[in-house]
Amino acid sequence: MDIRVLHPSDIPHVQQTNITNLPENYFCKYYLYHALSWPQLSYVAVDVSRPKKTPYDAPKIVGYVLAKMEEDPADGVQHGHITSLSVMRTHRRLGLAEKLMRQSQRAMFETYGAVYVSLHVRVSNVAARSLYEDTLGFKNNGTEEKYYADGEDAFSMRKELDYLREEALDDESDEEGGTIGQDEGAEVGSAGKAGDGADGEKKKERKRKVKVGRGLGVGELVERNESAPQTNGTS
Amino acid sequence: MAQNSQILPSKEASLFRHLVQNYETKQYKKGLKAAEQILRKHPNHGDTQAMKALILSNQGKADEAFELCKLALKNAMKSHVCWHVYGLLYRQQKNYEEAIKAYRFALRLDPDSQQIQRDLALLQVQMRDYTGYVQSRRQMLQMKPGTRQNWTALAIGLHLSGDLAGAEDVLHRYEESMKHTPSRSDMEHAEALLYKNTIIAESGDVKRALDHLDSIHKTALDRTAVMELRAEYLLRLDRKEEAEKTYNKLLKRNPERRAYYAGLERSLGLDRASKEDHQKLGQVYHEFAEQSERIDAARRIPLDFKEDDAFREHADKYLRRIFKKGIPSAFANVKQLYSDPAKKEIIRELVEGYLNEEPQANGGAELAKPDVQTNGSTKAQIKPPKLDPVLTWQLSVNYFLAQHYDYHLSRDLAKAQKYIDKTISINPSKTDYTYHMARARIIKHRGSTVDASAAMNEAREMDLKDRYINTKCAKYQLRNDQNSDAIETVGLFTRKEAVGGPLGDLLDMQCVWYITEDGESYFRQSKLSLALKRFKSVYDIFETWQEDQFDFHTFSLRKGMVRAYIDMVRWEDKLQEHPFFTRAALSAIRIYLLLHDRPELSKDGGQANGESAESAAERKKAAKKAKREAEKVEAEKKLAAAKKAQPAKGEEAETKKEDQDPQGLEAFKTAAAQPLEEAMKYLQPLLELSPKNIDGQIAGFEVYIRRSKSSRSSARTDKCTDGIVAGNYLPALKCLLAIQALQPEHPKWHEQSGRLRVALDGLSEPLPDQVKQVIDETYLSKLDTKKSMDESNEEYLTVHRDSAAHVQSVVRLRRALHPDSSDATVKSAQDLRDTIGSEATSLQDAEEGLRVLDELRAGADAKESYVKAAKERWTEATVFQQR
Repeated sequence: MDIRVLHPSDIPHVQQTNITNLPENYFCKYYLYHALSWPQLSYVAVDVSRPKKTPYDAPKIVGYVLAKMEEDPADGVQHGHITSLSVMRTHRRLGLAEKLMRQSQRAMFETYGAVYVSLHVRVSNVAARSLYEDTLGFKNNGTEEKYYADGEDAFSMRKELDYLREEALDDESDEEGGTIGQDEGAEVGSAGKAGDGADGEKKKERKRKVKVGRGLGVGELVERNESAPQTNGTS
Repeated sequence: MAQNSQILPSKEASLFRHLVQNYETKQYKKGLKAAEQILRKHPNHGDTQAMKALILSNQGKADEAFELCKLALKNAMKSHVCWHVYGLLYRQQKNYEEAIKAYRFALRLDPDSQQIQRDLALLQVQMRDYTGYVQSRRQMLQMKPGTRQNWTALAIGLHLSGDLAGAEDVLHRYEESMKHTPSRSDMEHAEALLYKNTIIAESGDVKRALDHLDSIHKTALDRTAVMELRAEYLLRLDRKEEAEKTYNKLLKRNPERRAYYAGLERSLGLDRASKEDHQKLGQVYHEFAEQSERIDAARRIPLDFKEDDAFREHADKYLRRIFKKGIPSAFANVKQLYSDPAKKEIIRELVEGYLNEEPQANGGAELAKPDVQTNGSTKAQIKPPKLDPVLTWQLSVNYFLAQHYDYHLSRDLAKAQKYIDKTISINPSKTDYTYHMARARIIKHRGSTVDASAAMNEAREMDLKDRYINTKCAKYQLRNDQNSDAIETVGLFTRKEAVGGPLGDLLDMQCVWYITEDGESYFRQSKLSLALKRFKSVYDIFETWQEDQFDFHTFSLRKGMVRAYIDMVRWEDKLQEHPFFTRAALSAIRIYLLLHDRPELSKDGGQANGESAESAAERKKAAKKAKREAEKVEAEKKLAAAKKAQPAKGEEAETKKEDQDPQGLEAFKTAAAQPLEEAMKYLQPLLELSPKNIDGQIAGFEVYIRRSKSSRSSARTDKCTDGIVAGNYLPALKCLLAIQALQPEHPKWHEQSGRLRVALDGLSEPLPDQVKQVIDETYLSKLDTKKSMDESNEEYLTVHRDSAAHVQSVVRLRRALHPDSSDATVKSAQDLRDTIGSEATSLQDAEEGLRVLDELRAGADAKESYVKAAKERWTEATVFQQR
């Protein structure tokens, strides 16, 4: 198994892995939206053991984590969010989910100065809860009622990323002069601005879409004011 | 004078501004009202008509919109608004070429319009007109040089058009002009610097790329990318010691990245191919493995290069470790090694040896300990129960052997069955369906799709909340042609509110695998219209994916993630090389060929020939169900609409229409009328984007050779002039030569080469000299023509008698040589039947043989005798039971 960052060309198989395993599905454009907004954050696990049949064989994706930065954090604290995580049943117990998550978390911290990472998990998903709480050290932040389209509740979980700061400092000691990771907490607010001038409306919209779990495309995410008169950029 | 009528008095002018505003805010009803109001007094006001047309088009009334816009242009030929709208209407129809023309007109009339310029630029990059895009972007940069996006966009255009130096220069000039140092968290800046770095590297000047990378080290925020690039540059510059250091750092961050290990090996100057290096390589990987119990890559990679006893020793350790942990993907992790027969044998010996061991005894004892300790976990309530280590071991070993004997390189299905039965008998879990799933797979390989489907359904019922097994079950149902069962199965997990029921949801969610399998199943059942409809859906999904990039041309500039954008553009350029596309396209082409060869198949609209009562009943049932579902969805929608008090953006919300032609009969009519033209739509991307896929070339030959001949056949009237007809021999030849280059031993080379010669020999009028010359030079002159084609064909048969695929090709060529000889047909039927006895013949080969018999129209007796022989060999195979 090979763990690496997600490329746009991986999307068809990531999409297949998702719809094979999970009830919340998305169309290609939503994956593209992640891959082109926060290209450092999403990772895939590739089964490299499959013999190639033609030169065009796409890498077989057996697990992925689709991640993003919260564009307009309600608490004003820069943080990452896990949109979707899944590993094929046939490739369980290899620790892939954990490995994918760790890579994503590091990128959130290093590239965007994320303070914590959040996610939602189905109350009934015992295996996933165990992964998040026991293996990865997430804390349960409470229940969001009827979060999922089928009416099930979600636990809202989060994990602080300050451990990465210590790791980075360790690393620095053998690095010639470079500083790794962002240490200016004060800049956290402006980091969001650099990515995009998100407006308040989007936040609400995002939440509704994620609840349904699909139907969200770039179209909805492109700000209205940018689609200047007489264009169809957002249709 | 005409222009005067185009100037509105102030009251109407203000109304017009409202109209534009209404359009922008998608208040279409209000907009239309305003337009009507203006037009009542000024019926020929072009701009108003154009705006109205634009709104109509956004409401899905495309025809009406075009009508009106043409009228608007007549009234106001020199209005940039009208031309702009005309372009937008074309753009909505995805006719980008016409749209670009219209935009250009508009821009000539209003050269300073940023909107038109931008719309034009968007289409140019979408159409990959980089020259035009660079021009447009230069204009836009001149208009607004203060915006970084405009500089970056120009650089992108230059970069994609191949002008690396120009691209770098533009990025550099912007950097020079910056007055303040951007903040450390300025992503746009950080990414632009890294983008420039990759351009420098692409230009080949690695030394400069490395120096530049070092200079931006602190600013570039994507640490992983910086380190990866640095390692790569160092390696390319042969600065091995530094490269080694960087790869070690990278591996510390991600010890499961194969490319890092490969880089490390190279920076250490170690080569897997040379035996002397194995000891050192082994040491390197051993050290990484020691670092953490959780690392797989460092433990697995040495199996790739180690050999003989060293391999045995390492494989033993590796397998014991994962068996003890009970990792279900053990077999998937090692099966790649099976291409080496010696390694395959060693693995079998080792694992069969484990059968008689219990981990407490012999070597396994100390390995088993860590697992026992975890039993006392305090968080037991949310942890799955731990198995007893003896049981874990036995489950793992038996399960592995079941998969081993199921795998095509080491297949012995009776043994596979034995091991999986054993595994299942000791499986303590009522919900872990893993082994039941493997059992279904083994049954499938024995040929019974009926039993395999039933077995997979049993596995599914063990864990109804798990979508993975649900998916598997649906797939097996489709393989068994239970299309309505399959859709019901997946329907347990699809969105309830989707228009068109579960299938509608799968189409929305672009679930290519299901749509393809469904199509292939209909094809097997000779329900050609439905099959084609599914393959067309796959085609359309790829169109959508192509279209999806459009919004990112602007979005990515705003986000500033330029490297990812470039990555996407390059992916989109070769989108249809994806195996998902190839698979559906090959099936679609096969159907078109069938429709060409046997036009009678299209008579009943491509439903199964003489639809059986059973399938008619099933169809009715399905139709009824679809109706029920549609009603349900409708009701739910109404309910939802009622719940939502205010219709947020109600007008813009695109209401998805019901499928008016669920059986695909309309499209089928077109397909049946000109099958070869339709086939070209699928063939062209195959030949263009995946030319090294031999199946595409084979299909290409089949299409072109028929296009060459089709005007001579009186039965068909494909619109071909003689010139085009003759012109198709060359593309057919091109495919043929590609097959030869890819796989000279491929049976299709023999068959299609022969068939081309037959076609050339039988020409009723000579080919144009130029064509003839090319064929002679590149092909005919290189053939051994001493023997007659009959002789060489029979000789080929003698040499390749044991290979069903080769025999099938011989038989097809024989048919081409003697289309009307019943003796030849009898002999061919016999040859085909003989392949059943050959050990190398697979069940799939035998199925293909049955198709060849059909092509030959060999008669019921020949078929019966073939099927009888096949049944004796594959006693459970569903495909022969039904005959």
